[in-house]
Amino acid sequence: MKNKFYDLRMGNRTGGLLLALIFFLSSVAMAQAQNLRGKVSGSDGEPLIGAAITIVGTTRGATTDGSGNFAIDVKNNETLRFSSVGFTSKDVVYSGQKTLNISLAADNKTLNEIVVVGYGSQVKKEITGAVQTIGYKELKDLPVTQIGQKLQGQLAGVQINQTTGQPGKGMNIRIRGQLSVSAGSDPLYVVDGFPITGTIGAMNPDEIEDISVLKDAASTSLYGSRAANGVVLITTKKGKGSGTNVSFNVYTGFQQVPMKGRVKMMDAVQFAQFKKEFYEDAKQPVPVEFQNPSQYAGKNNDWFDALINKNAPITSYNLSITSNKEKSRTSLVAGVLDQKGVVINTDYKRYSLRLNSAYDISDKVTIGFNVAPQLTYDNTPRTDGDRGTGILFNALHTWPIMPIYEADGTTLTKFNRFPASTGNIFAYANWVRSAQELVNETTTTNLLTNAFMEYEPIKGLKFKSSINGEILRTKFFFFNPSTATSAINTPIPTTAVSIRQNIENLSWLNENTVTFNKTINEDHKLELLGGYTNQYFRQESTQIQADTYSDDRLPTIQGAININRGSTNSGVQEWALTSFLARATYNYKGKYLLNAAIRRDGSSRFGLNNRWGTFPSVGLGWVVSDEAFMQDMPAVSFMKIRGSFGEIGNNNIGNYTQYALINNTVNGVFGNNVAAGASVSSLANPNLGWEKTRQLDLGLDLNLWNDRVNFTYDYYQKNTSNLLYSVQIAQESGFGNFNDNIGEIKFWGHEFGVNTKNTTGAVKWTTNANISFNRNVVVALAPGIDRVYGTFHITKVGQPFGQFYGLISQGMYKNQADVDNSPKIPGRSFPGTIKIWDANGDGVITYGGNNDDRVIMGNPFPDFVYGITNNVTYKTWDFNVIGSGSYGNQMLVRHIYSTANLDGPFNLLEEVANRWRSESNPGLGKYGTTVGGGNVTGIERDWINSRFIADASYFTIRNITLGYTFTKPSKVYKSLRVYASCQQAFVFTNYWGGPNPEASSGGGNTGDGGNLSQGVDFSSYPVPRTFTLGANFNF
Amino acid sequence: MLAVGLTGCTESFLDIAPETSLSSVTFFKTQSDFEQAVNACYVPLRTIYNDRSWLLSEQHSDNTYYARNTAFGATEQQEDLADFSIPVSNGLTTNTHVLNQYRQDYLIIARANQILALIDKADFDATAKANLKGQAQFMRGFAYFELYRYFNKAPLQLTPVTTREGAAAKMGTAADLEKIITDDLIGAAANLKPKSTQEAGRATSGAAKTVLANLYIIQKKWAEAEKLMKEVVAEGNYSLIPDYNNVFSTSTTNKNNAESVFEVQFQEGSNGYNGTFMYNFLPRPMLETELKTLSGTSNPQPQTGEGNNIPTPNVIAAYEAGDLRKDASIGYITCSSTLWEGKTYPIIKKYMKTHSLNGNHGMNWPVYRYSEVLLFLAEALNEQGKTAEAATYMNMVRKRAGLANTTATSQADFRTALMQERRVELAFENKRWHDLVRTDTYKAVITAYGAEIKANPFSYYYQKGYTLRSNSFSVIEKYYPMPADEAALNPNIK
Repeated sequence: MKNKFYDLRMGNRTGGLLLALIFFLSSVAMAQAQNLRGKVSGSDGEPLIGAAITIVGTTRGATTDGSGNFAIDVKNNETLRFSSVGFTSKDVVYSGQKTLNISLAADNKTLNEIVVVGYGSQVKKEITGAVQTIGYKELKDLPVTQIGQKLQGQLAGVQINQTTGQPGKGMNIRIRGQLSVSAGSDPLYVVDGFPITGTIGAMNPDEIEDISVLKDAASTSLYGSRAANGVVLITTKKGKGSGTNVSFNVYTGFQQVPMKGRVKMMDAVQFAQFKKEFYEDAKQPVPVEFQNPSQYAGKNNDWFDALINKNAPITSYNLSITSNKEKSRTSLVAGVLDQKGVVINTDYKRYSLRLNSAYDISDKVTIGFNVAPQLTYDNTPRTDGDRGTGILFNALHTWPIMPIYEADGTTLTKFNRFPASTGNIFAYANWVRSAQELVNETTTTNLLTNAFMEYEPIKGLKFKSSINGEILRTKFFFFNPSTATSAINTPIPTTAVSIRQNIENLSWLNENTVTFNKTINEDHKLELLGGYTNQYFRQESTQIQADTYSDDRLPTIQGAININRGSTNSGVQEWALTSFLARATYNYKGKYLLNAAIRRDGSSRFGLNNRWGTFPSVGLGWVVSDEAFMQDMPAVSFMKIRGSFGEIGNNNIGNYTQYALINNTVNGVFGNNVAAGASVSSLANPNLGWEKTRQLDLGLDLNLWNDRVNFTYDYYQKNTSNLLYSVQIAQESGFGNFNDNIGEIKFWGHEFGVNTKNTTGAVKWTTNANISFNRNVVVALAPGIDRVYGTFHITKVGQPFGQFYGLISQGMYKNQADVDNSPKIPGRSFPGTIKIWDANGDGVITYGGNNDDRVIMGNPFPDFVYGITNNVTYKTWDFNVIGSGSYGNQMLVRHIYSTANLDGPFNLLEEVANRWRSESNPGLGKYGTTVGGGNVTGIERDWINSRFIADASYFTIRNITLGYTFTKPSKVYKSLRVYASCQQAFVFTNYWGGPNPEASSGGGNTGDGGNLSQGVDFSSYPVPRTFTLGANFNF
Repeated sequence: MLAVGLTGCTESFLDIAPETSLSSVTFFKTQSDFEQAVNACYVPLRTIYNDRSWLLSEQHSDNTYYARNTAFGATEQQEDLADFSIPVSNGLTTNTHVLNQYRQDYLIIARANQILALIDKADFDATAKANLKGQAQFMRGFAYFELYRYFNKAPLQLTPVTTREGAAAKMGTAADLEKIITDDLIGAAANLKPKSTQEAGRATSGAAKTVLANLYIIQKKWAEAEKLMKEVVAEGNYSLIPDYNNVFSTSTTNKNNAESVFEVQFQEGSNGYNGTFMYNFLPRPMLETELKTLSGTSNPQPQTGEGNNIPTPNVIAAYEAGDLRKDASIGYITCSSTLWEGKTYPIIKKYMKTHSLNGNHGMNWPVYRYSEVLLFLAEALNEQGKTAEAATYMNMVRKRAGLANTTATSQADFRTALMQERRVELAFENKRWHDLVRTDTYKAVITAYGAEIKANPFSYYYQKGYTLRSNSFSVIEKYYPMPADEAALNPNIK
């Protein structure tokens, strides 16, 4: 079989590029561009740092460096536009001079900023959609490794939660609350025009110039069948400034897990006391181990704390060189990150390089190349997950009387076990050893490349052709030596297991676009865009699992006695997408704005009967403040009303979902022979298609008092229909489900953003704040199906998505009379056991089935999310505080099914000491009697009920940074800024289930997973508090 | 502009079929395709016999019980079956074992339906085709027979489902099921090879006749049953193995032996074809040293949780003095760490065979043995008044067990003796509950059995001071209620 990986299906796909190349090279027209240098300052003479210089009508531009200097290539008669936040921009027609110093008047007009939008850029003032941009400046100081972390709290309508503190992982980004039953809900990430197929989690944030988040249909519809979850456009740093600029950024610090927020568990004495009482209450002899609890005084073993790395270092270096020469612009960013995690034996390293370059080979032709290789290495012990999956959960509930270390301080090597007579029914490994010895490492190499050519035969008409490639190789190695395990009840020595996995992704994209700009009679501004693109993706994976090693030191494949065939496999995933796109933008005097866009996508994922989808949108805007009648209202410096409507899709439906597949691993055994077996494993659906979202957006931009206060409001309403839904069908068919486009969810919400300049002058204080209210309701599921159950959730028509579902606890039965006179569970309700609300009033408490007493008992979605950033500068000092929060959401605390297990096999929450022991000693009313055995005590832990629900509202001070800039150049540097920063400084919350109120993950049963089961805390890796010192050098 | 002329090959660019999986469009053409499809029909039997049958047919009778571990919860699904207290509401139950048994049977049926719908049109060797078609008919008939015995009604799904709407089938009555089972098994008996030429472990014509005879006996069609069983005896492919100890397969050998009519095939090893039922049948908690005496593996691991399918004092007492089958069927193990003060539990020795890897063994499960053929024949003859002839067949079974000829001479006495013989000969082979149902003795026997446990919970492995749950022995019904989860998906299920 030929190697299809390198076949790539390119065929005629790239014809456009070749054609364009020939076209460009035949071009002879040459115009001379001059290199212009100069300085931009405010009217008070102070240099303006980061001021933008753009050449009107092109995408060429530059920004000023730390001293206000710039350099740019410009041709005669081109118009240079100088702009800076808080200053009136100024246009200058270039007439051949070598230097140009510009002074801008403070005016606070921010509206002429150029904003990157899909397939181009636009002047902010003229945008009709809901687009929010965030620049490098707002991101730069935060000592976090992921872009998602940097964005937390800064974007209205975007909820960003860090579900786990594992380095490099766990950012959950949802734009406008978008979700789906089973299709993916992550936004589309587009890096320099290339929709990447991986995630941005590992991208070096220092490579980023700015980020635009596209929220409404008018902004996203050019991304067609991939737009429904919103689009994040990432633009990397390009050559700018004047000449060559070198800067070096470094920070170093340490990470900690604060004591506040940790789950309060019993210590050794409290636990022994509990066990003593357990036997006393059961009127059984107390095992000798518990007869004298005070013997454990001073001998507590805090298993959770033992897994915590007390001061985990983090260090980052970034070298950035930008150069802007005549006819060439280059930018290089090289980064090294080295992070230890706050759980022992966590290691995260990233080496990254990005080289962006562009060359004007004539005054009509520009070519450019971006190359960004990257290597990440990650080793994280199996920390996260349910009981028996993640060592953090395991450690939490391990008996504090079990020693962690030998008397000489070394880690206990023996299998950790009390006799069964103590009720120790599960075997425990030593979790510290497990964290130290389990190998769970991922090495990722990633190469992202773009090559493009632009050809502008006549002014205003531009052809662009690009080829983009992404190669991502992930190498995973797991080794579980015989001496360690992350599972519970697996005695040591256990069977050593190795897993090797190699995943190779390759994606290419060819895009060919033409744009035409024309301004007619000064007043009519028109831009047309047309394009044709093809994208292809292929993933090949192999996995080999081997077990039973004679020697843990040699975890090779050949060193294993057994190859696990069921977990040894290879796979291929492929998709292809062909698209046509067009957009028209028109405005009259910059006052009446129109934007219409359409994309047509053909996808290999869609069923044969439904292969092409069309995604149109239209946006309208009216700059009210430009009307004559508004001149009487000087307080209003700018006002725009805008609206948009469009239809977009979500194609995250799986690559082969439309096909009826044959599973050829259903092998039979006959005597000693194995015979290959095959069966149909899924039903075909040739009509399968994308999820369809129709979105309306109404917005208002209002700037007051010379832009001292800038206010933005958006209302949106979305209807997502044709949900990819694996409809459960009667299993008499031999199948569990049928993949169909079915059902509908309605979303709506309000987003408010406000930027204020509270003080100007010597002390400059600005505040950015945002708040968003996102709501959803399930309009329809499948015919005849009005609900989907998960382990802890229900998604039900007429209700918001994925609500917590369970019994309502009413405390404990007070006494026998209470049992007799109340609804109960036949044979399992006694004085001191959990009393449950008989929701259906039939007198019997039932969990599941036809007489279910479960009801909706909580909501994992917040009432609102908000963020606030304050920035104060005084002379050479700067001070910045970022906060963000979530209000009204709840979390299901999974671990209490272990940590409140009344049978005593696990360590318990400290407050279980205060449980029901007798009518006169009923405790908190939260935990029942320990008497009666698992069938009785098991109700309150096995029947999911309202006791599991915790308020997870929080407000977190994400970052506090104090910086000082040395403006006087030294021999070594041109300028230097030093700063101290604290990340995740304070978390204000009532959440009691663990250290991270943002934790959220799903279970593994029907109706679980992804969106259907949000807001379950399975005891994930803590998000650390990080203290750093940093320096930014400019040379 | 550049795009013009580039769209010609767009459709082929977008045609991407899965590379690592075949699609049903291209499958079901060749002999090899149908062989693979037939092999897949057998696969659900592994799940059924490893995980469910013994819970629904043996522990749901007076032969076995669970060994309560009061330190362990979340065991009510099994306990409800043993205690005759499964939740029933509107003729439906939420018991997961009932649900899973039901679903696995329909998985067999769906796979067989695929074959039976297409095999006649496929073009390949007629002999091979007959043998393949016969196996599909056997598997479908067998699966419907299981549903018939458990539920006495079931949805009728006889063609492959291709649409969402087609999944929910109409309910069939007992008579509908009897007709399908009869037709399929008559067809299977005609199409299948006999044991002498069939690959070991596959369904044979003799197996098809035995299942059909089992149905006839339930239907009290004694003459038809007699005829079929005599054909099987006359085949000469089957015999009783002289020593009852050697009747049951080990983890690697003695499979599909001379006495085997049909057995579920397991294979030890890490390929996933193994069984684990022996471990389910262990009293718990059990130390690794104690386990090693039974499993013989190099890596025994301590067993926690609650043990199931523990022989009852009731069944132990059922063996006549001198019955060699008693020691061959039942052994004992002492669990020093259990909370039950008795410490020494009986275990099903038939299935306790040493093997290599902890939790992974290859013993086959006996579904039909030749001794049952003889007992079916004896029963069919006796019910037609031919008691003397019947005795010759039952005495063959008794002789092998080291027992004298039966003393029963009247039809009624013989009937009692035969059911007693079935109980001990076929103990722990998932026959007991079905025998109680078809002889309509289930209510009396189980009621007395419940009273026996309640009177002396300690002898039924309850720790001192503990007793049965209060709802025990409150739902003694002839047939299982239909699974509630399936009723929610198929409005025809009531």
